[in-house]
Amino acid sequence: MENNRILSINDLHVKFSLRGQVLHALRGISLDVLKGESLAIVGESGSGKSVFVKNLNGLLDNNGWIDEGTIMYYGLPEEPEGINLAQFKTEKDWLRVRGNHIAMVMQDPMTSLNPLKTIGSQLCEALNLHQGLSGALAQAKAVELLRDVGIREPQVRIRQYPHQFSGGMRQRVVIAMAMACSPRVLICDEPTTALDVTIQAQILDLIKDLKQKHHLTTIYITHDLGVVANVADRIAVMYSGDIVEIGTCEEVFYNPQHPYTWALLSSLPQLGKKDEDLFAIAGTPPNLFFKVRGDAFAPRNPYALAIDFLHRPPYFEVSPTHKARTWLLDPRAPKVEPPPAIKAIGNLKPGGEQV
Amino acid sequence: MLGYLVKRLLRSVITLFIIVVIVFVMLRQMPVEGYFNDYDNMTPEAVQNALQNMGLLDPIPTQLTRFIKDFVRGDLGVSYRYRVNYPIAKIVADKAPLSLTFGGIAMLIGLPLGFGLGILMARSKGKWIAGIGTAYIVIMQSVPLAVIYLVIQLVFTSLFRIPLLYSSSNPRTWILPIATLALPTIATYGLWLRRYMVDEQNRDYIKLAKAKGVPSKFIWYRHVFRNAVVPLVQLIPASILATLSGSIYVESLYSIPGMGGLLVDVIKRQDNTMVQALVILFAAVSILGLLLGDLLMVLVDPRISLTAKTRTR
Repeated sequence: MENNRILSINDLHVKFSLRGQVLHALRGISLDVLKGESLAIVGESGSGKSVFVKNLNGLLDNNGWIDEGTIMYYGLPEEPEGINLAQFKTEKDWLRVRGNHIAMVMQDPMTSLNPLKTIGSQLCEALNLHQGLSGALAQAKAVELLRDVGIREPQVRIRQYPHQFSGGMRQRVVIAMAMACSPRVLICDEPTTALDVTIQAQILDLIKDLKQKHHLTTIYITHDLGVVANVADRIAVMYSGDIVEIGTCEEVFYNPQHPYTWALLSSLPQLGKKDEDLFAIAGTPPNLFFKVRGDAFAPRNPYALAIDFLHRPPYFEVSPTHKARTWLLDPRAPKVEPPPAIKAIGNLKPGGEQV
Repeated sequence: MLGYLVKRLLRSVITLFIIVVIVFVMLRQMPVEGYFNDYDNMTPEAVQNALQNMGLLDPIPTQLTRFIKDFVRGDLGVSYRYRVNYPIAKIVADKAPLSLTFGGIAMLIGLPLGFGLGILMARSKGKWIAGIGTAYIVIMQSVPLAVIYLVIQLVFTSLFRIPLLYSSSNPRTWILPIATLALPTIATYGLWLRRYMVDEQNRDYIKLAKAKGVPSKFIWYRHVFRNAVVPLVQLIPASILATLSGSIYVESLYSIPGMGGLLVDVIKRQDNTMVQALVILFAAVSILGLLLGDLLMVLVDPRISLTAKTRTR
C-alpha cells in the first residue's frame, strides 16, 4: 500500500472567506490516490469536488485556504518520502509540480484556450517550460502531440487559432497541452460536460488511451455517472465537502452503502421505463457557512437515524477497498433495505450475485 | 486582406460623403450675412453681386460638386469673416501642426504611463497602491479639467518659475501644456487597461495556463496584458488624430496659437465657409481615425477574419 500511492490526502480542511463569513468547503477529506489508477470523484454541484482538486495544483481561489491536513505527493524523484503540497506557500513551490507533475484538463474547451494565440504557441509555451524545447524542436514536438490526440493535419492546425477549432477539437488541444508537460497525474475536471454526447465518448477514449500509453494516474471530477462507469477504477462520492463513500467502481455501483449514494444512483433515469417520475433528492445541501452537526446528509435522508443528527459517522469498512460514512453500517443500527432502484442495479451486475 | 481594405475604405468614403452633403446643405440655409464682413453697409445689389461672384447663387448640386472637387484637391475654400479672403487650408496649416505636436507628444507620454498605471493597478488589486491609482483616476474623471489645469498652472509656474505663457523659442514653456494634456490620457488608459486586465485575469484560459505551470510574470505579460490591450488598440489612432482639433482649455491657458477653440470662434463669428470647412475636416479626421483603428485591430486580433468565413472543424 505504502509505495503504490502517488497522492495521499489526510484530513484536509479547506475554508473560504466570503463577505466576512467563513465557509467550511472541505470538511476533513482523507483519500489515497494510487499510482496508475483512475479515480472518479462524483457529487452534486457545490459538493466541493472542484475545490478539492484545486488543492492539488495550488489553484485555490485567493479567498480560500487550507485550514488543516496534509497532501502528500510521492511523485518527485528528489523527495522519495513525499512532499506536503498543503505547505506550499509561494508560486515557486508550486511550479515544481504544476503541469509537469500534476496537469489539468478543464471543463469548457471553448474558454480554456487563449483566443489570441495560435495553438502552436500555446503548446510550445508548455514544452518550453517543462522540456526546455524551443524553436523548430518545440514545433516538431507540438505537431507530434497534436497527432497523438487525434488531430488531423497537425502541421497546418498548429498555426491556427482556437476559434478555428470545434469544441471537441479544442478539448483535444487542451489535452495535448496537458500532455506537453508529461505529467504523472492528470486531473480532468468535468472534461466532457461542455461537449456533445457523441464527442464525449471520443474524448474519454482518448484520455483512457493516453493514460495507458503514458502510465498516467487520472482523477476525474464529474457528476455524470455514465462517465464514471466508463472510466473509473475507483469512485469517491462527495457530499457537502466530505467523501461519504469510496470503493471500486463495482462496489459503489452494485453494493452502495451510503443513503446519499443510493439517492444519487436512484436519480439516474432508467431507459425503457415510461410514465415514471424521475427521482429527485428532496431538500438542499446544508449551508456550509454554519457548522454541520452529525451527518450532513441527515436532513434529506429518509433513512436517517436519531444519531445522524447528533454525531458525525466515522468510516465503516465494507471491504478493504470499500468504506462509507454512515451510521447504518454500525452493528447496532437497524437493518435497512436499500431502495428498489438500487437493488435493480444490483441485479444488472454481470454474473450477478445479489448483496 | 485587400478585399477587406477596399470595402472598409469605401465605407469610410461613403460616410464622409453623407456628412459633407448634410453639412453643406445645412450651411447654405444660414443667413447670407455670414459671407460678408461689412454686411450692414452694403446695398442689396452689392450683396447680390458678391454672392453671384462667390458662386453662391448657383443651384446647390453645382455648388456641392464644386466644393467636393476643391476638397479633394485640399482646397477648403476661403474665409470671409475670420480672415477676409484668406484660404482656410492655410489657416489650418498654420495652426494644426502646433496642436498635433502638443497632442501627439502628450499621447506619446500619456499612453505608456497610462498602460503602466493600468498594469500596476491590476497587479496590486486591493492593495494601497491600487487605491492611490483609483484616487488619481477619480480626480481626473470627476473634477472639471479646467480646474485641474488651472491648479497645475498656478502651482508649477510659481514653484518652478516656469514662464506662464507658451513661447515657441523657449522649450521650458512646452513642458506644462504637454504634461497637462497627458494627465487625463494617463487616467483614461489606466482605467480601461486595469478593467480589461482584471477581466482577463479571471478567464478560464488563464487558469489553464497557471495549471500547466506558467509562472505568473509570463501569465501577466503574455496572456493578461496582451489580451487586455486589444480593445484599447482600436481607440489609439482616433485619439491621436483627435488632438488635431486642439484643446480649448490648454491652448487658451498657455496662449498657444493652435486649433483649440477655432471652431467655436468661427461659429460665434458666423463665418459660414469656415464652419463648413472645419466641421467637415474634423469629421474626415475622425473617420480616418476609426478606419486606422479597425485596421490595427486586424493586426492584433486574429479572430477578426478578413477573408470570407474561416472553416471550423
